[in-house]
Amino acid sequence: MLGSLFKNTLQNTLRPLRQPEFDATRLGSVAIALPAPNGLTIPPGCAAVLVDRDGRSRRQAAGSRIAAIEGETAWCVHPGPYTCELAPFAGAPEIGLRVHFAIDASDPRATHQRFDLFLASEAGCMVELGGFVELAQTALQRELAQGNLELPPCTTLDEWNAFRTGFNQLMYTRFGVTVDDCVPVDLGAARDYAATLDARLAARLDAVHPSAAAREGALDPVAPQEAFVPACEDARALRRLFLELPCLMCAVRMAVLPADQGRFRQHQELLRRLDLVSLSVGTMPALELAAPGQPLAQEEQLRRARHSRRAAAALDEAWALLARLKVAGESPLDNLFDEADRIVANLETEAGARRAVTARETALEEA
Amino acid sequence: MTTIECRSIAADGGMLTITATRRPRAGRADVKCSVPGAPGVAERMQQVVRLARHTEPRFDSRDQVVLSLDRAPADGDRDWELAAVLADRIVRDVFAPRREVVANGWSDAWHLGRIDGRRLAGMPDGVLLGGADALAHLGALNGQPDPAAGISSARAWFPMHSGGEHDGLGWVEVSVRPLARAGSGEDKDREDPVSVPDVDAVRQAQVAAVLAGSRHFDGRGQGQWRTTVRFGEPRFSGDSYQLALVMADRMARGREFLARGRVIATGSSSAWHAGRVEAVEALAPKCALIAREAGPGDRILLPKEWEAALPHGLREALRARGASLACVERIGII
Repeated sequence: MLGSLFKNTLQNTLRPLRQPEFDATRLGSVAIALPAPNGLTIPPGCAAVLVDRDGRSRRQAAGSRIAAIEGETAWCVHPGPYTCELAPFAGAPEIGLRVHFAIDASDPRATHQRFDLFLASEAGCMVELGGFVELAQTALQRELAQGNLELPPCTTLDEWNAFRTGFNQLMYTRFGVTVDDCVPVDLGAARDYAATLDARLAARLDAVHPSAAAREGALDPVAPQEAFVPACEDARALRRLFLELPCLMCAVRMAVLPADQGRFRQHQELLRRLDLVSLSVGTMPALELAAPGQPLAQEEQLRRARHSRRAAAALDEAWALLARLKVAGESPLDNLFDEADRIVANLETEAGARRAVTARETALEEA
Repeated sequence: MTTIECRSIAADGGMLTITATRRPRAGRADVKCSVPGAPGVAERMQQVVRLARHTEPRFDSRDQVVLSLDRAPADGDRDWELAAVLADRIVRDVFAPRREVVANGWSDAWHLGRIDGRRLAGMPDGVLLGGADALAHLGALNGQPDPAAGISSARAWFPMHSGGEHDGLGWVEVSVRPLARAGSGEDKDREDPVSVPDVDAVRQAQVAAVLAGSRHFDGRGQGQWRTTVRFGEPRFSGDSYQLALVMADRMARGREFLARGRVIATGSSSAWHAGRVEAVEALAPKCALIAREAGPGDRILLPKEWEAALPHGLREALRARGASLACVERIGII
């Protein structure tokens, strides 16, 4: 009896603490980052990123146990490499880019890791490869449509190299991932354009003759409008602005070394205006209140949420512009500073409109 | 402050003039419209312009655009809508036409860039006409396919040179529509149907052969499409349109990277099935023509054999204007 008691105690001390449940098999293939419970031993090959409420992040290496402090959220991140296919033009679905990318180990020179910031501000719960690829594709398509990156018909080798430089920098600056390889590919087998058009025409016919609902399973002609819940969208956009604007300002300050007095003033002015936008975001009135204790009408809430979203879109453009500033090197910066002026003006306008209680209020100012 | 004018043919046959002015925003509305005696039309104009701006990739809140119509259009007449959208784009340098614009067209889906139709009967020369049989969406101004349409069409331009005053850029448009899947089994051996209205039988056969060859090189697109090819000016001679035709076909089938502006190409080939591009005649006048006509975002494709003989400074002049030039040996990337 005494012997068995002794054995029990021994077993209790020697047995490792029970692991919290965590399925790491999806990491590295379909998921880039998964929320990790506190106390988890970080699986080999992965890293943990812990983010507190203010967006400050730290990393823990594989093998150690996640020890989150009060208020911290933890993710388990697999560095990859990952492979994906991007369509650079919405109108040309059969030609694409096959991209191999990886998430870097933390860069000791940087004060904050861009990927950790991405996790903190945009990840929500988890980062799945599919969702991430969609974000990357949107960023790429916008840069191409604006003419900041060029991928024209019959791209020559020089143009391809210039594109690669810009694209690599865009991915690193915007998402904190490094592009290892990127090649043009024929996506015809996977994304048959003829079949897409066929489905669109069939859907159009169905719309004309609703009785012919036989092809219900056919593809939707236009992507269905994403569900738009003002409260969620607004909160997400504002959180992004709140967390990312200070980091963006810090990066803009370091990216440019003003060459002369004029440029210095311009640079200072830009940073000052960004600072004011950041302040405006930090003190943004609640979505659903017109004044303390006064509820705001539903359609005005929708309007406010739309402005937040557009401000977040301007923020995306700002990151893309930062990438262009970094690759610009010695070339003239006038064009880029004009772009910066435009983006900051957009941020100011949208933040101002988000504060307004009614659309009329802005209209009256405008009259 | 910039001011431009854009016109539209009114229901009574006269002209409606839209004046667009761009000035610093200074805290005012982004678009302001005025129509004498018709506040409802002014309101609709503001709505149209704002909706059409959704199709632009670049948003700029620093400017205000003021649009005004010189007189009220007839009741229910909406043909001025296209002119208003274009005026708004021209005054902000989003669209840079080579000549004065007269445009007629209306739409219920400006936010998609689609142009549904026009009231104007006939097809007067020099008028930009909206509608499925003419300008079906705003991207088509640069020859780009509509990413939401069921039938995909793309345009490419080629220099037409005859040594006369009619020299200019001609366009070729390729529209493809999927062959019905059902019944494609028995037609497997037949060639893809290609129709080229308004040209003679020799030209028709040549166009069909060029498309068959280049699609063979591509490895896809055989037995998939019903194709219609239209030329802006069906009466011309020579083979130098072929590269433009091949590029328009590849863009329409969604298999080519897209330029922001137009694709302007000249070149022919005796071996499209190998994707080869060969030289054509009249290098100097065609280069001069291209240098004159090219605008921001345009992509110019010339045969590789021309590279050594290109006029001095052409590349730089084009780059300064925002266009890019490549001399290609074969179609496709690199």
